[in-house]
Amino acid sequence: MNKLRNLSLQVKISSIYIVTNLLVVMVNIFLIIGINSMSGRLDMVYQGNRHLNNFSDAVEALQSSMTDYLNVKTSASLENYYRSETLCRNMAADLNEEVTGRSFDRMERNIRHMSEHYLEEVAQTVEAKRGRNVEKYRFHYENATRMYGYIDTYISNLNMEQFRSNSERYSELQQRFRLFEAVSVIAIVLVMCSNVWIIISFVGAVIRPMKKLAGQADEVAKGNFAIELLPVESQDEVGVVTGAFNSMVVSIGRYVERIRESMEAERALKERELLMEGHLKDARLKYLQAQINPHFLFNTLNAGAQLSMMEGADRTYEYIQKVAQFYRYNMKKSEETVTVAEEVEMVDSYIYILNVRFAGDIHYEKHIDESLLSVEMPGMILQPIVENCVNHGIREMGDRGVICLSLYEKEGMVCISVKDNGVGMSEETIGKVLSGTYREEDMAAGGNGVGMDNVISRMKLFTGNENVMTIKSGGEGKGTEVCLFLTKFMEEKTEVEHEPL
Amino acid sequence: MIHTTKIEEPKDNIIEENKQAPKRNFSGLTLLPIVLSVVCVLFTVMMAGYVLWFYQGGYQEETAGGTYDRYYIMITQEGKSAFWQSVYQGAYERALEENVYVDWLGSEQMQGYSVEEQMEIAIASGVDGIIVTAGESETLRELIDRAAESAIPVVTLYGDSTQSARCSFVGVGAYNLGREYGRQALKIMKERLTDVTERPIRVTLLVNSYANSLDQNIIYSGIQETIEQERGEAAVEISLQAVDDTNAFSVEESVRDIFLGDSVPDILICLNELNTTCAYQAVVDYNKVGAVSILGQYTSDTILNAIDRNVIYATVNIDTPQMGGFCIDALQEYHDLGYTSQYFTADISLISRENVDEYLRREEPESDE
Repeated sequence: MNKLRNLSLQVKISSIYIVTNLLVVMVNIFLIIGINSMSGRLDMVYQGNRHLNNFSDAVEALQSSMTDYLNVKTSASLENYYRSETLCRNMAADLNEEVTGRSFDRMERNIRHMSEHYLEEVAQTVEAKRGRNVEKYRFHYENATRMYGYIDTYISNLNMEQFRSNSERYSELQQRFRLFEAVSVIAIVLVMCSNVWIIISFVGAVIRPMKKLAGQADEVAKGNFAIELLPVESQDEVGVVTGAFNSMVVSIGRYVERIRESMEAERALKERELLMEGHLKDARLKYLQAQINPHFLFNTLNAGAQLSMMEGADRTYEYIQKVAQFYRYNMKKSEETVTVAEEVEMVDSYIYILNVRFAGDIHYEKHIDESLLSVEMPGMILQPIVENCVNHGIREMGDRGVICLSLYEKEGMVCISVKDNGVGMSEETIGKVLSGTYREEDMAAGGNGVGMDNVISRMKLFTGNENVMTIKSGGEGKGTEVCLFLTKFMEEKTEVEHEPL
Repeated sequence: MIHTTKIEEPKDNIIEENKQAPKRNFSGLTLLPIVLSVVCVLFTVMMAGYVLWFYQGGYQEETAGGTYDRYYIMITQEGKSAFWQSVYQGAYERALEENVYVDWLGSEQMQGYSVEEQMEIAIASGVDGIIVTAGESETLRELIDRAAESAIPVVTLYGDSTQSARCSFVGVGAYNLGREYGRQALKIMKERLTDVTERPIRVTLLVNSYANSLDQNIIYSGIQETIEQERGEAAVEISLQAVDDTNAFSVEESVRDIFLGDSVPDILICLNELNTTCAYQAVVDYNKVGAVSILGQYTSDTILNAIDRNVIYATVNIDTPQMGGFCIDALQEYHDLGYTSQYFTADISLISRENVDEYLRREEPESDE
């Protein structure tokens, strides 16, 4: 069966036509055989009558030749007589001799015997004529003629009987012929129907995969690659094309998918960049709002510092210098990637300023792992956190406020911790701050305008991680600890990520 | 680069699935045309076989039947009458038992030929035996002798040719038959004709002019003797009326002539079926029912019904199948032994109003045949 399926299209289609034609030819051969046998039989129907008529003619010829000889006694008539006599004798010998149940046979038998009798009488007549025995030949002639009459009647009767029976037989044959005709028509119609059926279903079976293939090709042309793959039913041309089509659809689908995915990755990267840029712009805007004061302050502070140096007030000079440094850093570094060392320095300056301002109320502790100072991070991160600690945590505590800054490595991550012993935060507030929904008037509080949400966003964008900050608090009055997490090898990663841009 | 390696994996799976696909089985739709074509071819072959067989078989049927050992011919003057058909049937059935075939020439093929001509045909046909209703004619005697010379035994049936070389005669006891007719005639006289005194009672015996055989004479004398002995005071005139049976249809005319004459008989005695039926019809047609009493022969439906209606007084029934059977027996015996009994006498019985019902009942199923 599989071998059949794997035949080529040409062989398949050709064999369908050959098979159907063979069927038709076979049916026709049988019909021809049937018709031949029937017409042969029809020919035979009246053969008995023909034989009988021939015999009748022979007897008649004998009678007339005998009469002729008796009349004229020529050698020609004698010759005629002998010829007829031989013919008649031979034909009589062919007649039936058996006594059977059939009346034909018995009549034929009687005719045969009478003919023998008749031939004898005729022979005696001719013999007597030759011997010129007038009385004798007349006697035998009369006998022969009477016998001839009987034979004639018998033959006529038999002929009639046979004809009647043959006619019946003929009509019977004709009926059979009709029957055969009907059967033939049925056979031909059946064969035709089955041929049509065979052709339709075979061709259909051959064409079906092609149709399916066309349908699938149409789908693909419309851009739908998620089609069901066609089963390869045979190894003919259609099968080969189907296989090729399937492979084509699979590889095109694969390439499309690959292109789509790489485009998606690119798009995600761009989106991140745009987001980061957006946040920076947002931060920058806020700084710009606050920059009017720092610039003016910076210049005036510088003038103040020079004045105090000229007057020899060293502590004043140092103070003003630190304040100026703080604002400069604010101005410059907020938009750049900075090192942890710079950020720590910034925090130092900020605490110094505050301590001068509040007469050394804030106790500042540092636990720094020096090896981690070169790690990069976004600018203006630590200062806002420390500012929050001071403003919200320990402002009201007087000289008991402690701020502890730690830099250490934990589980492969660089951790910067800012801890205070202030009023602490509720879990609810911590949740709000981390999710970025906590709002307050930064500017009104005297901050530099950079909120915690901005800090968190920038940290997330920079590291590419979601988990960049944790806030822990023991509850009301038990202090707060803010931890930032940086990747140790951020330096290399950022290089890779920024490369395609 | 990471993405591409992920996509690579399903590719092999899909191609694997493709390779599996061709193992799908043939569906019914694909098999149906093949089955249909096979059926079609088988049908064609069967049809062809049927046609050929039909013809061979039909041809065989025609040449049926075995052969018979002997072939006899029965020749009668009248064809087609129920009497002779019954005789032939008896002969035919008896013959089949002996594997002999009897043809009745008078029946169909040779109508129009006289008994003598039929005899000649039978002799020329070289049959094994001839059964013939003879009479005492000279030509027939010569023909019977000629048949005997040709070693063809001849049995005379019903009418004898006493002087011929026939091997046997099958008939009825003619004298007894005559006495029976006489007794019935006397019965009629006592029952119906007591008031006829001014003239003699007319009793007429219809005799066939052709078959003017001795038998008829014997019957006549039987009747005559019986009536003479027992008529008492009554005057009875017994006459013979010849019926012309030489031509077809002449019998009927002859019988009617009797009723057109001056002296219509009181009692009409018929010696065969045809005469009886003709006489019965004539009595009815000429309105002589009651005036003419018929004594008939044979038991056809018509005759039995006529007895039932009291038109025919009585009929003598000859056991016809027995008569036919005797003919065959005689010929077989002659062939086997070289001699046979000279006379075979068939049984006779009388049917009148008293016992006609019994026969009518018996005839009914037979009349269907």
